Amino acid sequence: MNRKENFTAGFIRENPVFSLYLGICSTLAITTTLNNAIGMGVAVIAVLIMSNVIISLIRNITPNEIRIPVYIVVIATLVKIIQMLIKAYAASLDTALGVFIPLIVVNCIILGRAESFASKNNVFDSALDGLGMGLGYTCSLIVMSVIRQVISTGVLNFTNPFDATQMIFEFRIIPEDYVISVFNQPFGAFVTFALLAAALAGYKNAKTAKAEKKKKAQEAAQAALAKEAK
Amino acid sequence: MKKILHLTIFLALVAAISGGALAFANNLTAPIIAENALAAEKENLKLMFPDAADSDFQQIDVKGNSKTIEKIFTVAGTETIFKLQVTGYKDGTSFMVAFDESGTITHYAVISNGDTQGIGSKVADDSFADSLIGKKGNEKLDTISGATISSTPVVDGINEAAQYFADNME
Repeated sequence: MNRKENFTAGFIRENPVFSLYLGICSTLAITTTLNNAIGMGVAVIAVLIMSNVIISLIRNITPNEIRIPVYIVVIATLVKIIQMLIKAYAASLDTALGVFIPLIVVNCIILGRAESFASKNNVFDSALDGLGMGLGYTCSLIVMSVIRQVISTGVLNFTNPFDATQMIFEFRIIPEDYVISVFNQPFGAFVTFALLAAALAGYKNAKTAKAEKKKKAQEAAQAALAKEAK
Repeated sequence: MKKILHLTIFLALVAAISGGALAFANNLTAPIIAENALAAEKENLKLMFPDAADSDFQQIDVKGNSKTIEKIFTVAGTETIFKLQVTGYKDGTSFMVAFDESGTITHYAVISNGDTQGIGSKVADDSFADSLIGKKGNEKLDTISGATISSTPVVDGINEAAQYFADNME
């Protein structure tokens, strides 16, 4: 697998949320507003890149028997540091995300990438993998939160996470009378998630079906050619 | 034996490094976090004293180990605010009550109430606040009929705060 493929894998083919179904707990819970999605996404990207880099750096000296506890200590430390930074510099984000920041520790994406990628590849590739996977996760969050926020409130807005009073943009898409507020609730999260996962699966299936059809057509053409040659 | 020693030392080393990193990050952020918490508290205090400046509020340490009295502030040295957390029907009430120098209730504001909407939530109504303001904190205060499970702990909390005020402040 070359570097570019490796980097873009996180978006569609190995999208952690809608394709690998990793880290869904926080996805369902926090995707109520765009602000939460971006804040959570950035926190996960930061943790993912740093944990991948550190684990890749120590991969040759980590004894195989205790690699999982070592990974967990590294990840937990990073998450705690990120949590402190968010508490100190983006207090409104901390109130909005609450317990889901410390829960990044047990987000399967991070331990999953550490175990399956960073422990076997060099530092640069691991950092790239962390960025790609993190961006894939963030994109999934953003897509879900935009759908849910627009349907449930009719408004799409984004405030400065470092200063809650500063609005960066805000516009109304659906008139107030036609919003479906249930999309703010867990039910809405499940519906949105199911539809998006189904859409991605449908897209991937169509792609493989197309590739197979192409292969068959090629084979048929070759067979016809061979027949003619006879 | 050698293997076990190697594993133990490696894991201990990793843990020690992570501990050091955490301590460093904590050192860096702890004062800012404390400042943020105080600023958030002052936002609540301004609900009661909209005209006061941030610097007018002074936090005082709570003596003893009261379960209901969370924080105490003074405003410009004349009034004392108690922040209280009491139980209720479900999640209870978090509220603030202010006394003047004679122990009379001057302000009452609910920060959050987790009880039944429309019943327990009456403790946040203006009519309940009006029934408290002007009375002495240590006298018998009226509860809300129909919402006694939520309002009795609030009134008890005010009495406790008044007792504390009489014991420690006057």
